[in-house]
Amino acid sequence: MVSSVVHAGFALLLAAGLLGDHYDRRALAAVLAIVVIPEADSLLGPVMSGAHRTVGHNLVLPAAAAALLYYDTRLRERSALRERLADRWIAVAWVGLFVHAFAHVPLDWVHLEGVNVFWPLRDRFYVLDGEILLSTADGFVQTFVDLQIDPETGSRTLDAGGGGTTETVHVNNPVEPRAPDEATEEPVERIFPIANAGWRLYLIGTGLFALAARRLQDRSPREDGA
Amino acid sequence: MAPTLVNAAFGALLAAALLGAAFDRRSLAVVVAAAVLPDLDAVASLAVPGATNALLHAVWLPIVAGVGLYWDTRMRDASRLRGRAGWRGVRVAWVALAALLVAGVGPDLFGREGVNLLYPLGDAYYLVNGGFLFSTEDGIVQTFVSFGAEGPGILPLEALGTTESYAIGTFINPDGRPGLSLGVERELHLVRTGWQLVVVAAATALLAVRFRRGGRAGRESRTGRESHESREIPSESTEDAAEVSR
Repeated sequence: MVSSVVHAGFALLLAAGLLGDHYDRRALAAVLAIVVIPEADSLLGPVMSGAHRTVGHNLVLPAAAAALLYYDTRLRERSALRERLADRWIAVAWVGLFVHAFAHVPLDWVHLEGVNVFWPLRDRFYVLDGEILLSTADGFVQTFVDLQIDPETGSRTLDAGGGGTTETVHVNNPVEPRAPDEATEEPVERIFPIANAGWRLYLIGTGLFALAARRLQDRSPREDGA
Repeated sequence: MAPTLVNAAFGALLAAALLGAAFDRRSLAVVVAAAVLPDLDAVASLAVPGATNALLHAVWLPIVAGVGLYWDTRMRDASRLRGRAGWRGVRVAWVALAALLVAGVGPDLFGREGVNLLYPLGDAYYLVNGGFLFSTEDGIVQTFVSFGAEGPGILPLEALGTTESYAIGTFINPDGRPGLSLGVERELHLVRTGWQLVVVAAATALLAVRFRRGGRAGRESRTGRESHESREIPSESTEDAAEVSR
């Protein structure tokens, strides 16, 4: 996994922009919990092959959750959630879903073997890797999704960074530091990454900056006049 | 430099996070412009050797702007900025400054091309890149900050070179050296890697949510809107009152 700290940093930045009137310590804690909980799929690793980056790291379950949330709170006449939860927590739930879909899954999507985006509908790991540029020689170029048309048969092949399945892919994590079928005598080294590249440190720093700035700001309107 | 689109995306995210009641299309545009501004030093590099990621990416401009802003809004008896643009103006100015530093310079410093932080007083392109992890074998390992490293710089960071030895190619100046090089292939990167695409997508989605929410609040019953506004007005009016009393 990209370290949970990196997810949390970017999640804080997004949450600060989305929570609006609901921005407070408890709402932030709830959002951070939503960021961390999907990593629990690494605990399933020992019982289910390839569980990490699959069970908690797909876009199908969040989409289903969003559909359920929308149906319950907007379409039904009597909402089961609204009876139990205050409006603010429903808003926080929406922010949590947004953060999961934009700060957690996609940042793992670009990292190592990627994530099992469409699980459980389709079992395949995808890596998001490429660049987009405008070139004076080639025009618009993007290499994230590679669409090739065979000139003779006319058949199209689409390469969006697809890799193996839950059977073949193992993403190392602190619970299972190496692939289970890999047998060595070396002592097990468990690595808990915090930030393994400059940009990850930057995401952490930006999240903390937003948090600190919000704290300073909330005082400022009163103090400015003093 | 990091793609300007990525600077703009981070600027938009910061604007949404920090502008608060001052958030609207105009203030967003100001903050995003501040985030994009440092990349204009690529234009200067056509005349000044090595100006890319140096002239407007150095820390001096934000420091001067920050000191000026602090002096005007906190220390003067009557703030010029607040007198002209009110609480909103002050908030937008601070957030724009933050965007200049964090969203304009940050992605370059932590990215791949580095920033000449102390230019022109010191001349070295710094890059913050490395690793920070906890291993059960080696304990805490970090390679972002290195003291006593070889290189031209005086800061304890990885130094890539000086304006003499290190040139950054951009769309405006493909070889990074003074002089127009016409007829050369130019590339304008929108996103260079997957994570940058993620940031741009997140910023786009977040702005869509914010503006949709704002539009809905406007369409909904006027009373609801007014009660929402009335919550914001007191903070401004008390501030004005404090200023009058002073």
